[in-house]
Parts: sequence; C-alpha cells; structure tokens
Amino acid sequence: MIAAISWRNVWRTRLRSLVIIMAIAIGLTGGVLSVGVFNGLAEQKMRTAIDTQTAHIQIHQKGFTDDYDIHYFLKNPDNILSVIEMDNRIKAYSTRTISELMIRTANGSAGVQLLGINPEAEKSISTIWESVVDGAYFEGIKRNPILISQKTADKLKVRVKSKIILSLLDTDGNAVDAGFRVVGIFKTSSSMFDEATAFVRQEDLQRLTLMEGVNHEIAIKVNDPEEVTPVIADLKSNLSEDLQIESWKEVQPELAYISDMTGQMNFLFLGIILFALAFGILNTMLMAIFERVKEIGVLMAVGMNKMKIFLMIVFETIFLALIGGFIGIIISASLIIWLGNQGINLSVVGEGLAAYGVGQIIYPQLSGAFYLQLILMVFFTALFSSIYPAIKALKLKPIEAIHG
Amino acid sequence: MSIIQLNNVSKIYNPDTIPVYALNKVNLEIEEGEFTAIVGPSGSGKTTLLNMLGGLDLPSEGKILINQTDLQSLSSKQLIDFRLHNIGFVFQDYSLLPVLTAKENVEFIMQLQNRSKSEYEKRAMELLKEVGLGERMHNRPSKLSGGQQQRVAVARALAPKPKFILADEPTANLDSKSTNDLLDIMKKMNKESNITFIFATHDQRVIDKARRVITIDDGAIVKDKINTAIA
Ligand SMILES: Nc1ncnc2c1ncn2[C@@H]1O[C@H](COP(=O)(O)OP(=O)(O)O)[C@@H](O)[C@H]1O
Ligand SMILES: [Mg+2]
Repeated sequence: MIAAISWRNVWRTRLRSLVIIMAIAIGLTGGVLSVGVFNGLAEQKMRTAIDTQTAHIQIHQKGFTDDYDIHYFLKNPDNILSVIEMDNRIKAYSTRTISELMIRTANGSAGVQLLGINPEAEKSISTIWESVVDGAYFEGIKRNPILISQKTADKLKVRVKSKIILSLLDTDGNAVDAGFRVVGIFKTSSSMFDEATAFVRQEDLQRLTLMEGVNHEIAIKVNDPEEVTPVIADLKSNLSEDLQIESWKEVQPELAYISDMTGQMNFLFLGIILFALAFGILNTMLMAIFERVKEIGVLMAVGMNKMKIFLMIVFETIFLALIGGFIGIIISASLIIWLGNQGINLSVVGEGLAAYGVGQIIYPQLSGAFYLQLILMVFFTALFSSIYPAIKALKLKPIEAIHG
Repeated sequence: MSIIQLNNVSKIYNPDTIPVYALNKVNLEIEEGEFTAIVGPSGSGKTTLLNMLGGLDLPSEGKILINQTDLQSLSSKQLIDFRLHNIGFVFQDYSLLPVLTAKENVEFIMQLQNRSKSEYEKRAMELLKEVGLGERMHNRPSKLSGGQQQRVAVARALAPKPKFILADEPTANLDSKSTNDLLDIMKKMNKESNITFIFATHDQRVIDKARRVITIDDGAIVKDKINTAIA
C-alpha cells in the first residue's frame, strides 16, 4: 500500500505535479531531440565517409600508408583477391593504384592524392559516381580522363573537358608530366576529402608510373557492417603478414573517435539536463513534505517506521519523475522517428556541415537501447533527488509534527 | 497487574532556558479495561501526559512501564514498533490519510504489522461495521463528516489490537450528536471487549461518561476519582 499512497500523493497537488512533470517531459524532449541530431550527424558523417572514402576494409602493403611511397605495392594481388573472392560475407571490392602528385593548369596548381581506379569495380564499393555534378563518370573522354572535385576545379579554374597537367614521379624516380582532360566534376559532402582527391583510370596511372599491373590498395565492402571485425580476423589469418588489413575505424581513427565522443557527449548533455531537473524535482518534493509535516508525524506516531516513510517519499519522487520521463520519451521518440524519415533541412548552415563531412539534410536517429538508458538515468535522477527530502521527512519528530 | 505504571514522572520543557514543568512527579497506575478521562484546564499537562503514555515523548525524570516494558529502554526504532503493536491513537483532528479510503486507512496500519491480506481485510470491515460505517468504507475522508472520520480513526486505532487507546481531545471538533455517537461506540467496545480507553479532555460530555476521572493541574494530579455511578 506504500506504493499506492505514494502514487496517490503525486496527484494530490495536481497542478504542482503537472508542472514538474511537464518540465521533465519538455526538458527531456529538448535533450533527446538534440542528441538525436548530434547522433544523426555523427552517423551520417560515418556513413558518408565509408561510402565515399574508406569502404569497410582496406588492404595495403605494410609501410605504404606511412608516406604513400609507390614502391610499397601489394606483392601478390592475385592471391589476395582469390582469398577475398572466397569469403561470402564480402559484398564487393575494388583495387586501386595510388600516387600523390601535383595537378597544374595555367591558373595554378593543387596537390592531390590520385586514385587510379577501375571505374566499374569502384561503383560497387563507393558512391563517388553518384556525386558527379558536372560532366560524367568516366564517359565521353577517351584518352586520359580525370575526375576532379568541384573544389579543385574552382581553385584551378577549370571545367569539364579542360586540359590539365599531372606532374608525377615514375617508379624509377623520373619526373613525368602527362596531359589529362577533365571528364567529370564531383562533390561529396566532405570538403576536406574533395580538396585532396582526384580519380583517373587505373591503367592510365599504371602506364605513366611504369607500374603495369601494380595495386596499392584493395578497398572492400562487407554485407553486414557488424562483420567487419570477424572478416578482418579471417583475412589476417589467411593472408601474408606483410599486409596491413584495416577497418574503416583504423583507416580514419577520427571517425571512430567522433562516434565515441558523440555518444559520451550525448550522455553528458542529458546528464546536465537531468541534473538541472533534479533540483526542480527536489524542490517539488520538499514542498510536498513541508505541506504534510503533520501527516507524516501522525504516521510515525501510529507506528510507521522510518524505512517505510523513506520508501514512501522515494516512490513518490520516482513516480513523479518517471511519468515526466515517459511522456518526454514518447514525445521525443515520435519526433525522432518522424524527423528521421523526413530529415531536417539545415541548408542554412550547409557550408559548415560540408566542412564537417555531412550533407545538408540531417536525419536524427537514436537506438532503442538509448531510450532504455535514458529511463534508467531518469530513475536514478529521481532516486538522487528524493534522498534529501526523504531525510528531511525522517528528521520530523512525531509530537512536534502533530502539534505543529 | 496494571498495564500502565508511572513512577515519579516529570517532564521539563526547555530545561536550559526557561524551564516549564509540564509534569511534576506524577505517579499513576492504569488497569486493563478502564474508561478514564484525564481532565484539567488548558495548559495543565494533559497532552504531555498522554504523549508520555503513548511513547511519543520520553520523560525527563521518572519511569514509565507499559505492560512491564520500560519505554526508556527502547531504541527509537523499537519504540515505533512498540507503539504500532501496543498503543492506539485517536487525535483531535482525526488525522486520517486523505489519499486512502476509510477501509484502506484501517487496513494500512495492519499492513504495517505485516498481517495477511485476508486477515486485515476481514478485520477492517468488521471494525468499520462496528463503528457504523459499513456503508461508507470506500469513501475517502474528505467525503465523510467529522464524526464519521473520528469513528474511522477509532477503528484504525483498534485495528492493530493495542493494549489501550489514547485519545487527546477526541470530541473537541464534534457536535453533540457526533460526540454522543462516538462515546457510545467507545463505551460499548469498552464494555463488550474490555478495551481500555484513556482520554485527555475538558469536554463535560466525555467526563460524564468516564468511570475514572483524573484531574491534573500544573502538571500534578490533584484528584483521582472513580465514579461508581457509571457502569
Ligand atoms: N514542546 C513544548 N515546549 C515547551 N513547552 C511546552 C511544550 N509543550 C507543552 N508545553 C507547555 O507545557 C504545559 C502543558 O502543556 P500541555 O500538555 O499541552 O497541556 P494541555 O494539553 O493540558 O493543554 C503548558 O504550559 C505548555 O505551554
Ligand atoms: Mg492538549
């Protein structure tokens, strides 16, 4: 019956209870929405990076990624590919030849990492072909086509079909200048990536650097992102130790860091909101106890022990907070689901978001586990804010309380 | 053997500033089955005495034995438990829990005693019928008159089967009819079930029905009289 008394006590001063319940609900809704947006941003950044840059898994010769020395190429690509082919958790792969070089035009120069790709295979692991905003994805220019970013095109003041010069070193260390023609211009949501990357056909780059058949990188996509770790483990055990086999998290540690940080920041953020709400709850409960001094005194007089009085107040606080918490979660979860489909158009701040590496439409998202954790947090907030009022109640002396 | 025994009990409020001798060397014995009124003018020490008998406050000097238990020997936790099982309280302003129905108010105290559901439900209904509220047991106190609330309070006080009932000015807020109804009910319980009632009162209607009248003034018993005319 103690819980029943607590529950009914919540509704005794209906207006006051509703005020704090709404405060909790609104506070949580605001918090959860923000967290959903932050989370959506982080997720989108991660997904964009995987789709346009890192794929799920990358294989290099050990040493290559230290300073992209073209001599560290994959030693036995056919063997690697046959192992990859056999793993049916792997959805697709693409081989790349890579060279760091200067692009020059009459109007200036830009240093880029040039990826020599097989345009068709690349399509199966990367969405870069969908990011072409002008020209075409390796169509329309027969000899030495190059795909550059909008950023680079603007910087060098070139357009589709413009001629540009690539200055690179061949495998013997000789400087080579080669004429290319812009086949297409791409734009992803990451301006950093755009600035630093250009694409040519793999055979063109191999021919110019005198590295026929040479691959520096194999990019792999798996069917289920959860399987990245086991697939890597199997690849490592089946392939030479000379190879560096990494997940996207290892290729771009900052991505994993962002996703971890976002999670931690989110809980910190909600923690601060709840901490503030805790004082509201505490105040409400102190008022309730202040009003019921006499009643509590009578309960003590007739034989309700301190433990039970303590529980009665803790329950009431928890009910108050959980009602607010559930309302808040129902409202915010509905909003998150709706906005998660609809998206929030943030084109107003679009440029800033591009620098961060995501598009202009944000899709907030949160997992079921998040809501569970949130309910737990609300519960502990209530527990925390009930302790002081409960102790206050226990300090009452029955006669003083009764005779006021 | 007395159920209550006071030996030289004194209560001094504010001993360090302006001491108030609310009780001064009181000696008193109360037997099972008494129907006793403690009377005296306002400020004479009736409430203080009742608080002592109820273990709500401890004496400054002297000894209180209830059923041979020395109240001062109990820890505060034991004292609460002792009150729960041995002493029934009726207050001037009824003091029922407003969020509970009449029946729940009576049941709750038995739940605190960890009695079984079937037991407390049955007893609560019996007691409420006895005080004439069989029809109103699902009402909350706010839906009951003062007299009805005080009868619920009597049922609540009786529910834990205490050794005696302490009632401090129980009729002060009641009209004549309610007062008479309440007194009749208590008198009947006293006669039929030998339940001990101790009142602090200056209500003549109560005094007239009491078999023993203890008069106190200035914290001391000045008269202790058995009214043989009352059965
Ligand atoms: N908590 C207290 N502190 C100081 N004095 C008190 C306190 N309670 C009662 N008194 C004093 O003790 C005396 C007896 O009071 P009380 O027992 O309430 O009398 P009654 O119930 O007969 O009116 C009074 O003089 C009163 O002022
Ligand atoms: Mg009094």
